[in-house]
Amino acid sequence: MGKYIFRRVLYMIPILFGVTLVTFLLFNVAGGDPAAQAAGRYATPAQIQAMRVEMGLDKPMVVQYLNMVKQIFTLDWGRSWSSKQQISILIKEGVGPSLSLTIPAFILTLLISIPLALVMAYKRNSIFDKSLLVSCLALISISSVFYVLAGQYFISYKLGWFPIWGWDPTWEGRWDYVALPLLIMVILSIGGDILFFRTVFLEEMYQDYVRTARSKGLPERRVLFKHVLKNALIPIITLVVLEIPFLILGSLLLESYFGIPGLGNLIYRAIQESDFPVIKAMTIMSAVLYIVLQLVTDVLYALVDPKVRFE
Amino acid sequence: MAQRILVLFALAAALASCTHRSRTPLNSIAYSLKSNVKSLDPAQAGDEYVNEVVPNIVEGLLQYHYLKRPLEVIPQLADGMPKVSKDGLTHTFKIKKGVRFQDSEVFPDGKGREVVAADFIYSWKRIADTRTKSDGFWIFDGKIKGINEWRDKLAKGTGKFEDPIEGLVAPDDHTLIVKLNKPYFQLYYVLTQAYAGVIPHEAVEKYGAEFLNHPVGTGPYKLDHWIRGNKVILSRNPNWHGETYPTEGEKGDLEAGLLADAGKPLPFVDQLIFYEIPEDQPRWLTMMKGAVDFSDLPKDNYDGAVEKDAKTLKPQLVKKGIRLFIAPNADIVYISMNQEDPILGKNVNLRRALALAYNTVPSLEKFYNNRGIVAQSPIPPGLDGYDPNFKNPWKEFNLEKAKEYLAKAGYPGGKGLPPIEYSTTSSSTSNQMAEYLEQQFAPLGIKIVVVANSWPQFTDRIRTKKSQIFGIAWRVDYPDPQNMFQLLYGPNSSPGPNNSNFNNPEFNKLYEESLTLPPGPARTKIYQKLRDIFVDQLPWIPTVHRLDYRILHSWVKNYKHNPIMHGDYKYMRVDVDNKREMKEKL
Repeated sequence: MGKYIFRRVLYMIPILFGVTLVTFLLFNVAGGDPAAQAAGRYATPAQIQAMRVEMGLDKPMVVQYLNMVKQIFTLDWGRSWSSKQQISILIKEGVGPSLSLTIPAFILTLLISIPLALVMAYKRNSIFDKSLLVSCLALISISSVFYVLAGQYFISYKLGWFPIWGWDPTWEGRWDYVALPLLIMVILSIGGDILFFRTVFLEEMYQDYVRTARSKGLPERRVLFKHVLKNALIPIITLVVLEIPFLILGSLLLESYFGIPGLGNLIYRAIQESDFPVIKAMTIMSAVLYIVLQLVTDVLYALVDPKVRFE
Repeated sequence: MAQRILVLFALAAALASCTHRSRTPLNSIAYSLKSNVKSLDPAQAGDEYVNEVVPNIVEGLLQYHYLKRPLEVIPQLADGMPKVSKDGLTHTFKIKKGVRFQDSEVFPDGKGREVVAADFIYSWKRIADTRTKSDGFWIFDGKIKGINEWRDKLAKGTGKFEDPIEGLVAPDDHTLIVKLNKPYFQLYYVLTQAYAGVIPHEAVEKYGAEFLNHPVGTGPYKLDHWIRGNKVILSRNPNWHGETYPTEGEKGDLEAGLLADAGKPLPFVDQLIFYEIPEDQPRWLTMMKGAVDFSDLPKDNYDGAVEKDAKTLKPQLVKKGIRLFIAPNADIVYISMNQEDPILGKNVNLRRALALAYNTVPSLEKFYNNRGIVAQSPIPPGLDGYDPNFKNPWKEFNLEKAKEYLAKAGYPGGKGLPPIEYSTTSSSTSNQMAEYLEQQFAPLGIKIVVVANSWPQFTDRIRTKKSQIFGIAWRVDYPDPQNMFQLLYGPNSSPGPNNSNFNNPEFNKLYEESLTLPPGPARTKIYQKLRDIFVDQLPWIPTVHRLDYRILHSWVKNYKHNPIMHGDYKYMRVDVDNKREMKEKL
């Protein structure tokens, strides 16, 4: 297993090289002249040039690229063009609020959707199954902006159950602000998750081993939870693990509409302000997270399924 | 599993049953900003959101009178207005005694020390130092004797920060002498800006680049805390030097209740809260719920809030005690035409044809909810030389005349004219504006090619003179149309602020002459001549001067719009009893 992980880590190097190179080239083409941006609206060519030297943009492209690679390893992303804030601090500050929203929403979604999907698969074609199926389809068909706007208007503004917008950095105070976006996030993801899990469970339920288990006279509860659920774990793990980077990156829409100062909000602002160092840091960070978590998924596969070998 | 789910549902229901209660003190003012506050360093005070917050923390030598219009500069930390030498080149400021910086850990005993003249020299040098990466150096650039030389030497490593600047001298702790290279009649205006605010060197030395999160100044409020991307909270500075509410204003101020607090000590409220709410709906709903005390009027909520006359609020808002304040902004939105472009630059009749074909009135409704007036020239309303009756002959929407001028330009029916490239940003509103422009020029047979860019790409194209035509806006930095005319001065061509690269010898000469004149009829006459050359040559199609629409709750008192600068919160008062009573009803 150690060898396998080592080999996978080696594979990551060319992928990361590709990601960083593409990101670097993309932002150098689309990023405009940051020195001119920083020098302000009255800047003369001499002042822009002085700023270019100050920002290290007069150096050859290779040196600039190597500086970016250094940033990745030192986790020092420099400062935002737009706000001059230190990007690593902005990221550090944003992780907590993002996770406060996404982790509870994610767990709650799984806790609701997995058992519901299992029951739906078990009672396939029943009224329960059909009505939930239709509800799930309806949930995923409606635009996420609708849930946000309607939730904020009716639940927060009209009923006054939650604050409309805001954030309290204290641990106990934040839940008041997180509650509504959390519920919306659950609604946003639950429909798709239930449909996905139901399909996975259905696929398993028609396998030979399930028929064998039933014919052995095992109680249905044991068949479902011991056998079907266990075998359905691989696709579930894939979904769960690959969603983790998105949990860390937060939700652009919800954070922005509800004033949660998380990473989603940070990315949203950076995009609006064409703040390329921040976008670059977030792009590379999410790519690295994604690659690392894919490795974690592969290792987990082997742990839950003896058929998968580290080869 | 089922039990756990039930517990979670119960928790959610329990949360839902608790009606939210605000934790904000009543004697406070909460304002919702449309964008984020990026920095609290006066050296980075380049945008209006930073300028909403920073002037409450950091003060300068001068400030604008809160009520008088046209805007009048009065002392802030200066002890009276400066003495000026006969040639207008030496300005001697006396600095108020006993003004102390806010208490801060940067001082040895935590107590703010007294402000001295050397602090101003330090703060202004910091703006000039390229390492600060301030976009505010333009306020002193080429104006103060020796400041450019000092800056260049420092950038090249041949000079030190401590080296003296000939034009900035502090003969004693409370005297500051500013020597200029040439007359600079805008000096007092720029000294009201946050860039020129005074900060203690101890704070910059302690926090370094992180000073932008730990501002220390002399202002009526100090930073309480800042949750980046969410809100900035300022609390009253107990050691403020103190000022009183103005006792006189302009005509109508007394009737408007703006002199009710005349002579009373400032500031009135204990806390200022700046919420950073970029989305329209939450900005609107927090206002409607009374969670913020005043706000702009979001575009999407305009129709539901304002009557068709565009002046009065709808009854449901009036019932809530909400009031609407409308005031012109000293700005202009325009379509710039690159004068170095071989087709547009040499053909004034073509530019006139384009201006005649562009119908501004429907665009006002479509893109601004009619919150603006049609611009005739670069001079915004309220500024020296602005004439409300002035009509630009090329601004009348007249397709027949436009066709005639297009033929005169050598392109009858648009024949032979290659497509014109319109550069814009890639936002949805910009795209709609580009479509509108295409529709306007289509009847002339003129084809527009839209090039959508990211903002940095867009500004790069302008700076490198690659754009043919593009839409852009400018808000003046001080109440003098010179700030608009410098956008048309030849030597300021791209990458300078003259983005149309207009270079007219007569205009340049008159502009230079205007710089040597103090405010008065002679200068106003020159400004009008500059306007006339602009109209004749038409390097831009001026489109709109925007109007500021602000909504306030009944309990907010003493609000008056300043077309140049915001951040005058020390004058605003809250009727706490009314706020308590009204908030219950919202």
